[in-house]
Amino acid sequence: MLRDKLAVLSDARFIFALIIALGVAAEFVSGSTVQIWSFVLINVLIAQSINVLTGIAGQISLGHAGFLAIGAYGSALLMKSLGLPLPLSLVAATLMGAAAGWILSFAAGRVREFYLAMMTLGFGMISYEVVREWTGVTGGVAGLPGVPSPALRTLNVFGVNLGEIGYFHLMLGVTAIVLWLLRNFITSPYGRAFFAIHVSEVAAGSIGIPRAGTKREAYTLSAALMGLAGGFYAHLVGYLGPESFHLHRSVEALVMAVVGGLGTLSGPVLGAALFTYLPEQLQFFTDYQFMVYGLILMLSFVLLPRGLAGLVLPRTRFIKRLTPLRSADADGRGTEAPAAIPARDDETTPLLRVSALAISFLGLRALDDVTLELKPGHILGLVGPNGSGKSTLVNVISGIYRPDAGRVVFEGRDITGLADYRVARLGIIRTFQDPRLVPGFSVRENVLLGAHRLYRQNQLAAAVDWPSALREEKRMLAGADKVIAMAGLSALADSIVRDLPYGDQRMTELARVLLADPRMVLLDEPTAGLSEGELKKLALVLQHLKQQDIAVVLIEHHMEFLRDLVDEVVVLNSGRVIYRGDMAGMYRSAQVIEAYLGGDSHAAAPAGGQGGRDA
Amino acid sequence: MLEVTGLVVRYGSIEAVRDCDLTFDAGTITAILGANGAGKSSLMKAISGLVPAAAGTIRIDGEDITALHAHRRARLGISHALEGRRLFHSMSVDENLRVAWDFRHRGNDFKTASDRVFERFPMLATRRNTPAGLLSGGQQQMVILSAALIHEPRYLLLDEPSLGLAPVIVQQIFAAISAVCRDSGTTIILSEHVAALALSVAHQAYVLKQGKVVRKGAASALAVDASLSAAYLGG
Amino acid sequence: MEFTLQLAFAGVCVGSAYALIAMGLSLTFWTTRTLNFGQGSLLMVGAVATVALLGAGVPAVAAVALAIALAGALMVVAERVAIRPLLKSGDSMGWVVSTLGFGLFLQGFVAKFYGSQAIAFPSLIFTSLDFVDVFGIQVSAQYLAVLTLSVALMVAMEIFLLRSAWGRAVRAVSHDADVAALAGIPVRRVVVLSFVASGALAGVAGVMVAQITGTVDPQFGFNLMVLGFVAAVFGGMGSIVGALVGGIALGVAEKLAGGFISTAFGDAVAFAILMAVLAIRPQGLFGRREMTKV
Repeated sequence: MLRDKLAVLSDARFIFALIIALGVAAEFVSGSTVQIWSFVLINVLIAQSINVLTGIAGQISLGHAGFLAIGAYGSALLMKSLGLPLPLSLVAATLMGAAAGWILSFAAGRVREFYLAMMTLGFGMISYEVVREWTGVTGGVAGLPGVPSPALRTLNVFGVNLGEIGYFHLMLGVTAIVLWLLRNFITSPYGRAFFAIHVSEVAAGSIGIPRAGTKREAYTLSAALMGLAGGFYAHLVGYLGPESFHLHRSVEALVMAVVGGLGTLSGPVLGAALFTYLPEQLQFFTDYQFMVYGLILMLSFVLLPRGLAGLVLPRTRFIKRLTPLRSADADGRGTEAPAAIPARDDETTPLLRVSALAISFLGLRALDDVTLELKPGHILGLVGPNGSGKSTLVNVISGIYRPDAGRVVFEGRDITGLADYRVARLGIIRTFQDPRLVPGFSVRENVLLGAHRLYRQNQLAAAVDWPSALREEKRMLAGADKVIAMAGLSALADSIVRDLPYGDQRMTELARVLLADPRMVLLDEPTAGLSEGELKKLALVLQHLKQQDIAVVLIEHHMEFLRDLVDEVVVLNSGRVIYRGDMAGMYRSAQVIEAYLGGDSHAAAPAGGQGGRDA
Repeated sequence: MLEVTGLVVRYGSIEAVRDCDLTFDAGTITAILGANGAGKSSLMKAISGLVPAAAGTIRIDGEDITALHAHRRARLGISHALEGRRLFHSMSVDENLRVAWDFRHRGNDFKTASDRVFERFPMLATRRNTPAGLLSGGQQQMVILSAALIHEPRYLLLDEPSLGLAPVIVQQIFAAISAVCRDSGTTIILSEHVAALALSVAHQAYVLKQGKVVRKGAASALAVDASLSAAYLGG
Repeated sequence: MEFTLQLAFAGVCVGSAYALIAMGLSLTFWTTRTLNFGQGSLLMVGAVATVALLGAGVPAVAAVALAIALAGALMVVAERVAIRPLLKSGDSMGWVVSTLGFGLFLQGFVAKFYGSQAIAFPSLIFTSLDFVDVFGIQVSAQYLAVLTLSVALMVAMEIFLLRSAWGRAVRAVSHDADVAALAGIPVRRVVVLSFVASGALAGVAGVMVAQITGTVDPQFGFNLMVLGFVAAVFGGMGSIVGALVGGIALGVAEKLAGGFISTAFGDAVAFAILMAVLAIRPQGLFGRREMTKV
């Protein structure tokens, strides 16, 4: 109801009209209104900055004001001391912010959870202290007066003396462009990769998304936005003092983004507008500001987890509005995703060769001298009791652990110890015991993540909606539709994954694997929790993989499921391979029976169960 | 007697235990068998109170304990040794026993109780001040068993006690289990993935498959039943 | 040389207060794996409440005791409102922001209803002019009192944890809450008690530091909390010995940097240490690497 009525707010044409309207209206409203609107624009940039880093990439930041300070003082000083014109000083402020974010990410990217919160708190406080103490440059506690500003008619751009209205127009234009770039980025594979990192760095690595590099991107982008905001801010107010960059500034940024709605595109805009106006309109608000912010932060995650945007606005889309490319429309490339399977010269060359793999954790041997081979189009069942090392083996192959000894060779190339996202990029895709999907994404958006390793467009092309990038996305969308159909999820393609039953979530993960165009697939207990019908679908998908000459490793306990599917089975026990061969032989193997049933040494005692026998 | 009626255990949207009925007579050893993921651990956690029952009731001697928290059930006389040999690694053997004692003892003094423990497992007596994390797997299992028994519980749940242990140690532990039931009349519920092992000491057994009870009966009968392997290996 | 020794000693004393703050933070970490990002405000409440009660004519010992009790009580609220509902979400962002908000709320409350100006904190033990001769160096009696009290509290805590049933219960819950519950330990009650103790310790630390600095204002405590973080992380999250070593090392570093360069530089050094430790060796000196199953 309300959401449908407000849907018009997200319409691009409406937004465009709004921008024009604001620009025109600025000529007619009072000077103080123009000033408030100017602050709203700055806060929009600030809120989006936090949104990108915390809401989307999931990296908490409690010291964001530090980047604001860098941009503000940077632009002000470059203009004052070097006479840099406004456009250049703003660009410089943005770049300085970006550089600071990039540098910080080296330390911050290695740290997680509340440690990261502490670190960013420390960063914010160091920035504040530096501003306060570096009196020679920043003016210290006394502040930096005389920053060229429209209010005093001291701001000059290419000979034109910029007044408040002109400055507002400039900020309006730049902010609109920034929001456009952000929207393009979020609906691109790079924006979706941020969300993947947020949900699970390990799962992101399994589809080829590098955790460190992606986090670096997020920090750089976020800090750049903050630097730009800082530059705008400096010239708007004409005077800079350290108190403007204290903790409460970082808190304000957080509140705007959280209340507006983290992880959405429109939320931070709402939040910025709200929290710029409230202090103006409500004296009460200013008096009780800390208490109100405190209360908001305490309650918002519980009461309003998706913010106002989640409540009243239509859902943010993470895919561009494009028609998937059918084969007729293709520019000669067809709907198949690139990287066709090369013709094999030798029928019997193994795809994967694992030799003498060994790894220990805290003195416990998890894998001991494990050797196995896998040919293309073969399905291998990996079975064994709990703790026998099945998941560990898959973790080593997929690059999560580095083995203590032994080698993993894939397509003739030694990949032992290669990082998980690099292994994924080579075409080895794996799943986990629980489906690691982005809960707020639709099925289609989650499936598209699988294609991450196949994209050729770079971040810049993505941000400006470059035609070739759009064409590539159309091809990927077509591919996604195909695998979604194969997984039987076509009716649910736009459903939000967190609302779906477990079986459908599992199938979504499977579709994601398919879209990645793998050469080898490692599935960790894919049958767990699936119904009979879903098991049939799973079996069909696995047979399809087999037909495509893709090798499959299945960790499973469900023997009946494996029986008609696998070409070979490997049984692990206490980290060692105790059987390798076909399933029929497995049932007859004395060693396997011993591991599962106990065998002769634990033969049944007479009725009543009076103690065991000596070994 | 412990009665489980209509038990359902859910984790999110997955049903781990679906409408199970089980009865455990006082002073007996019951084996719970089944493949991984069959619901054995979830069943035991529901009995001891670690996970809530989505539906169904659990009764001890007629008294409904379904709504009680785990620590209350522990004080009523239910002891549960979780799978994976979980104990307090950074505490010594003595401290592990004390922790199990502190909130449940009924008047006797700790020295008497711990002396009894060391009688049953003399090898622990020499290691009473060793941090539990430094003990061997078998010794750790002995500590866990001792801690579970130190206040003479009425019911003892053991989740895969033999996992990862050498056969000789396993024999010792199972001998102790039988002795406990025989001497103290403790009702024991035992889950094992090595079926023959559990059946060698149990009086009766239940077989679980995908959260449901599919077989039940006297342990001796199930021990020679060839179709049991079907539940495990599907072959 | 005398100057350096005096600074070093002041650093040890101040560091012992940081250690106490770190220990208070660790208490909730043990039982819930969370930290109160608003702990600074509890330090402040301890100090401000003492001043307020003294001003109302309450005798000194009772005033301090009540203030500390208030701080403990506030933590019960924090656990119920800012921590428990957010533990379900699985990541830390919720409770970090929520406890930060709790602290901000308290800060705003005190500023609004008590005034945001700095207030003088009266001398309760000795005066700032009392000096004691230790090995030929003139040492502030107040500093010495802080050091003695902090160390005494930490020793008491260590004994409590090692020797008493409830202390063992805390360690048990910290190690494995499931096994603890199955052993009959009322986990929920242990958690709440750990929060009360955490708040009380913060209150004590607040009073002690206010005693040394002589003034208190609503922002008081925030910097201290961050320094407490540094001490806790540097020494190793959850380790009392680590907190002591970390706190004292931090205090000495801060005082020496402050004495030879500038006081603000002292703060910057502390934050820089924090970032370095977190980036290089997050488990600190005595902490354990947490291994998580993939």
